[in-house]
Amino acid sequence: MALKVVIKKEKVDDARPRQSARDDDKTEIEARILELLRKYPKGINDKILETHMPNLDIQIRVDVINDLLTKKKMKLFQAPGTNELFWGLNEQPVSIKLKEVDKEENVVMRIIEEAGNKGILNKDIRDQSGLNLTTINKILKALEGKNLIKSVLSISVAKIKVYMLFDLQPDRSVTGGSWYTDGEFESELVDIVNQQCYRMLQQKAEAAKLKAMDGPLIVRNASFLSSKEICQMISDMNIVKFNLTVEEIEAILETLVYDGKIEMRMVSDGDERIKTYRIVETLLSSAAIVRIPCGVCPVIKICGTAGEVQPKNCVYYDQWLD
Amino acid sequence: MEKLSAKSDPIYLGEAIVKKALAVMIQHNLVKFQASERNNNVAEYSMMHHNVYCLIRYPKYLYMIKRIYGTSEEILLEILLNLGQASASNVIFHSANRLNEANDSEVLSPSALHQSFQRLAQDNFIIRCPKLAENATLLKVPTLEIEEKEKFAVPNVEIEPIARMLKEKATQLGGHCDSEIIWRVNHERFDIELRNVILVNAAARRVDTTAGELYHLILKLWRESSNPDSPATTPVSYNVIKDAVRKNDSSPILLEHFDHYLRVLHEDSAGLIDKPGDAGGGQFNLDYSKVFENLACASLDSIVLERFGSKALRLFRLTRIQKFMEQDQMQNVAMIPAKEAKMFTYKLLEHNFLQIKELKKGTSNFAPVKSFILYHVDLPQVVRTVLEASYKGLFNAMVRQMHDLTENKRLLEKHAMLESMLERLKGDDGVPEEEIAELSDTMHPAEKSLVEKIHLMSDNLTLGQTQADETILILESYLKFKSKEL
Repeated sequence: MALKVVIKKEKVDDARPRQSARDDDKTEIEARILELLRKYPKGINDKILETHMPNLDIQIRVDVINDLLTKKKMKLFQAPGTNELFWGLNEQPVSIKLKEVDKEENVVMRIIEEAGNKGILNKDIRDQSGLNLTTINKILKALEGKNLIKSVLSISVAKIKVYMLFDLQPDRSVTGGSWYTDGEFESELVDIVNQQCYRMLQQKAEAAKLKAMDGPLIVRNASFLSSKEICQMISDMNIVKFNLTVEEIEAILETLVYDGKIEMRMVSDGDERIKTYRIVETLLSSAAIVRIPCGVCPVIKICGTAGEVQPKNCVYYDQWLD
Repeated sequence: MEKLSAKSDPIYLGEAIVKKALAVMIQHNLVKFQASERNNNVAEYSMMHHNVYCLIRYPKYLYMIKRIYGTSEEILLEILLNLGQASASNVIFHSANRLNEANDSEVLSPSALHQSFQRLAQDNFIIRCPKLAENATLLKVPTLEIEEKEKFAVPNVEIEPIARMLKEKATQLGGHCDSEIIWRVNHERFDIELRNVILVNAAARRVDTTAGELYHLILKLWRESSNPDSPATTPVSYNVIKDAVRKNDSSPILLEHFDHYLRVLHEDSAGLIDKPGDAGGGQFNLDYSKVFENLACASLDSIVLERFGSKALRLFRLTRIQKFMEQDQMQNVAMIPAKEAKMFTYKLLEHNFLQIKELKKGTSNFAPVKSFILYHVDLPQVVRTVLEASYKGLFNAMVRQMHDLTENKRLLEKHAMLESMLERLKGDDGVPEEEIAELSDTMHPAEKSLVEKIHLMSDNLTLGQTQADETILILESYLKFKSKEL
C-alpha cells in the first residue's frame, strides 16, 4: 500500500507582497503629496488630492497622510472662513531639531513653542518640565545661542524676561505697545504726544471762535475733533516713527480728560458711536486761596500762634510781601 | 450758649463793662439773647457766628452795592453798617450829612435818599429787625418777633424834619416818627449775591461773556421766584426767560442766538442750568448742590495743582471721577511712570486728599491674608479739611497784618501825625515854603519808604484775606447744600 503524501501548503499571507509594493508606492505617494503641498502653499484639501491622484486608494491615502502627520511633515488646519479641513506643509519640521539637540532641550523647546505669542517665564518652564533650574538656564543659553529662541522684556512682570520662538512677534501685552521700549515706559514720548493733541484741540477751538457771530452752538460744535481725526493728524506729523493706533490715541486723550483740560462726548455717526473731544475751560481760573502763601504752604498743619511755624515770622510771607 | 460769669473769669472786667460790650455786640447783630430754659428771668447770650464772619465782607458789600446801584445807596449801606441797627430816618439823615460833606456844591434832598432806601429794601439787601412782642414788657427777658410780610416794608418817613435838621447842620436827628422801626443789613441776601458773582464768572469762562449776561438774568429770575433756603430753585419757563431778555435791552447777539445760548449753558457739564421738564417751552432750574459740588471740586483741583503739580492733579481727578481705583490701574490709565505715580499717590494720601479702603481677599486660613487696597476721594471730608486750612490761612493773614502794624506802630503814628500837620499847613496860605520843606524833612526818606512799604504789605494782606474768603464761601456753600439735599 502506498502512503498519500499530502503536501501542506504553507499559508502565505497574500497581503505581504502587496505590502512591500505598497511601501514603495507609499514613499512615492508621500513624495507626490509633499510636492503638491509645496505647490499649493496655502494648503490643499481632499478634492485637490483626488483630482491629482485619481487612482489612489482611499485607505492608502489615509495611511500616507497619517504617516506624514506623525512625522510632522504636514499639518491639518481649518480654513478660517468655511471651516473646511485643509492639509498644509509643515515648514519647520521639529523632527529635524530633534536630531540636533538634546532630549531635554527638546522638552524645553516644545514648552516654549506652546507658549506661542505671549512667551513663557523661566519659572513656568521649570514647573512644566520638572527640570532643574541650572539645567534650564544652560539649555536656554544654548538655544539662544543657536538663535532658536529669544528673550523679550515683559512689562507686566517688571523687567522679567519671557522666552519665545525666534521668529515670532511678541504680543502687545508683553511689550506694552508703542509706549514701552525695551520694557521701559517712555514718559517723554507720552508727554510729547499729549502736548501735541492738546495743541491741536486748542487750534481747533480758536478757529471755531472766529465763527462767534453764528452763535455759541456753532462755535461749540465746531471745536470738536474725533479721535480718528486726531490719530490721522498725529500720524501725518511723523513725530513717532511707527503708527499709533486709534486706541492708543484715545488712551492719551483720556489722560487729558483727567487733567481737566478737555472733555469727551460720544457722537453717533451713522451706525457707530465715535468719541469726540474739545477743549474746556475750568470753572474757576484758580481757587482764590492759592494766591496767598497759606493756600500752598507745605507746613500749614503745624502752623500756629506759638512755636516754630508762626505767621509772624513765616518765611513764605516774607518772600510774598517783598 | 455761653453764660458769661464775669466774676469767676481770670479777666475780670467788671459788670458794667461786660454789659456795655454785650450791648454793643447786640447792636451790631453779633450776639443775640433769649430767655434761659431753666430760669425765665435770666437771659442767655449766644454768638451769631455767621454774622461775625461776615464782618470781613463789608468792603465787598459796599463795592457790590455801588456797582449795582450807585453812590447814594453805597453811602446808605455804609452808614447802616456803621450803626449796626438804625431806623430809616436816622440812616437817611446821616447819609445826607456825609454826602454833603463830600461835595459842598450839591445838597442832596432827603427824598432822593428815601427812594434809594426803598430800592435797597425792595431787593432785600436790608431787612427789618424783629420788634418787641406784644406781651414783652411783662417779661423780664423780652422776646422779639417779626412777621414775614413786614420784613421788607418801608414805613412812611417824614422828610420835613430831616430836611430841617440838615439845614441846621445838626449832628443828631431828634425824635422821629419811625424810630421804632429798625433796620439792619441782610447778610443772607449778600451771600446769594456773592455766590451769583462766582456762578456768572464760571458761565462766562465756560462759554463766553454774552452767556454770562444771560446767566445773570436767569439768576435774577430764579432769585425772585424761589425760597432762598431751598437746595434747588423753582423752575422758570422758557417764555419767561425770553421775555426778560427782550425787556432787558441786552446785546443783539444774545437776542439773535438766545436759543443757542440757553442750550449751550444747559448742556454744559458744569450743571449751570438743569431742565426738569418741557412745559411752557422748557422748564429750567438750578440745582445748587450739583453746581457747588463742581465748583468745590474745581477749587480742590486748583489747590492740588498748585501744591503738588499736574501729575498729582491727574491722579486726584482720576480717582475722584472713577470712585475707587487700585494703584496699578491708576498708573496705567494716567500714563505716569510707576515710581512717580506711587510718590504722588502717597503724598496725596499723606495730606488727606485721598483715602484708602481695604478689602480683604479672604482665601485660606493658612496663607497670610492678601487684600485689595483701593484709593478713593471722600469729597465732604476733603472739603472740610481744606476749609479748616482756609480758615487758618485767613486767620494767619490777619495775624500777620496786625503784627506788622503793631511792630511799626511808632513809626506809623509819627508818619500819620506828620501828614496831618502838613495838610493843615497847606490849608493856611500864609506859611512859607521852607517851613513845609523843613517839616517834611523831619522824617528820613528811608523811613518814608518803609512806611510806604508797610502800607503796601498791609493792602496785600487785606486782599489776601478777601481771596481766602472767596474760597471759603465756595466750600461752605458746598457743605451747606450737601447737607440740605440729604
